[in-house]
Amino acid sequence: MPNTVKHHPSLSVLEQFCEGRLTAEVALVVAAHIDLCPHCQQLQHDIEADLACAWAGEPIAATTDNSAFAAMLQQIVSAEPAPLEAAASSLSKAKSLEFGGQQFLVPRSLQRLAAKRSKWLTLGGIATARLPSGDPHHISLLYISEQTQVPRHTHQGMEMTLVLSGEIEDENGRYVAGDLIVATPDHTHTPRNVKQEPCLCLSVLSAPLTFTEGMTRLLNPLQRFFY
Amino acid sequence: MLAQAALTLHDEPLAKTQDSSMTDAVPPTQSEWEQALALVALKRDKTAYAALFNYFAPRLRAFGMRMFGNEQQALEMVQDTLLNVWQKAHLYDASRGCASTWIFTIARNVRFDMLRKKMSRKDDILADDLWADGDYPDMEDEQTERWDIWIVAEKIAPHFDMLPPAQRIVMEKVYLDECTHQQVAEELGVPLGTVKSRIRLALERLREAIDAKHS
Repeated sequence: MPNTVKHHPSLSVLEQFCEGRLTAEVALVVAAHIDLCPHCQQLQHDIEADLACAWAGEPIAATTDNSAFAAMLQQIVSAEPAPLEAAASSLSKAKSLEFGGQQFLVPRSLQRLAAKRSKWLTLGGIATARLPSGDPHHISLLYISEQTQVPRHTHQGMEMTLVLSGEIEDENGRYVAGDLIVATPDHTHTPRNVKQEPCLCLSVLSAPLTFTEGMTRLLNPLQRFFY
Repeated sequence: MLAQAALTLHDEPLAKTQDSSMTDAVPPTQSEWEQALALVALKRDKTAYAALFNYFAPRLRAFGMRMFGNEQQALEMVQDTLLNVWQKAHLYDASRGCASTWIFTIARNVRFDMLRKKMSRKDDILADDLWADGDYPDMEDEQTERWDIWIVAEKIAPHFDMLPPAQRIVMEKVYLDECTHQQVAEELGVPLGTVKSRIRLALERLREAIDAKHS
């Protein structure tokens, strides 16, 4: 039985993604999920067709003022041909990344940003590297070594985790590459990698985590480390 | 007999179109837009482009006004989007979807990048990161047909009310009136691919609703 993606974003999240209405960091996690999930690739295609068809068929009131458009049309058709851009955009892309002696394939949507990741911070069997993003969302790569548990924690905000490679499990289930885990403030969970291979995830946090286990609660640096 | 048949053929779609409040006039067909884009790509044909421009500019502005709530930004989005259409018509691939879908996704991307730029985010997430240029390879269309076999109209029809109107109409025609996808496309004046898309989306939404009820 091959590992198939079972944890998807909801249809309404996909719709907001297709309209471009999601927060950029959340949209990036959804985009990376779609890169790994044929089912949602099809849904994205369908939603775009549905929205665009409804939009293009809308009647436009005959009374609208179209005076601005004549000049715009002239300006556009006298524009120079588009500059060649292919080479520039492919320069700084990471098709795969290496950590802990292991190569990981990077989904298309993350390739440009993964090349701009910060230095890895390592703590025990866990490592994290931030991708460029703005407040209030933090987006990072999370590496979990084989047979390693992430300290039990709750969330003050929302946490989205996308498995990029390998496998993790928590109290609620088992997640393989492409699976999306959304944890809200009322969730407490202990993700762990019980396999013999390392796991790489993409994680978006909208507020710091709170660690709930006695020992780790003393280790304040952990919170800074993850957020 | 012939005259009568012609009359029904002619009248039925019109009547249906009206009570479903889809459109008041038949919009130009997708294949006309595809042709126009091909002419722009191959010959930089200004007449073909002007036809596209005149149809889509007001609709893009309406979309921009909804999204920005500001005429100046809406018009900036219109201009940037339609400049892309003029310069990148050769990148449009009809086998991957309708011309209007292509233009819609350009507008979405232009708007996304405009908003990010306004927030002056440097080195940040771009529309090009989020949305692949074109579809993914091996997009399959067989799923709809396969689902059709398994679905019992009586089981799902009671839930049709929860669907968005455009999807509901398609589902009623396919599952209650037993129209073929092609017939539905002709009656509603939408591309066949869009009919299939709407069926898949409706089925996905119904599945989500039924799952939620059971868990």
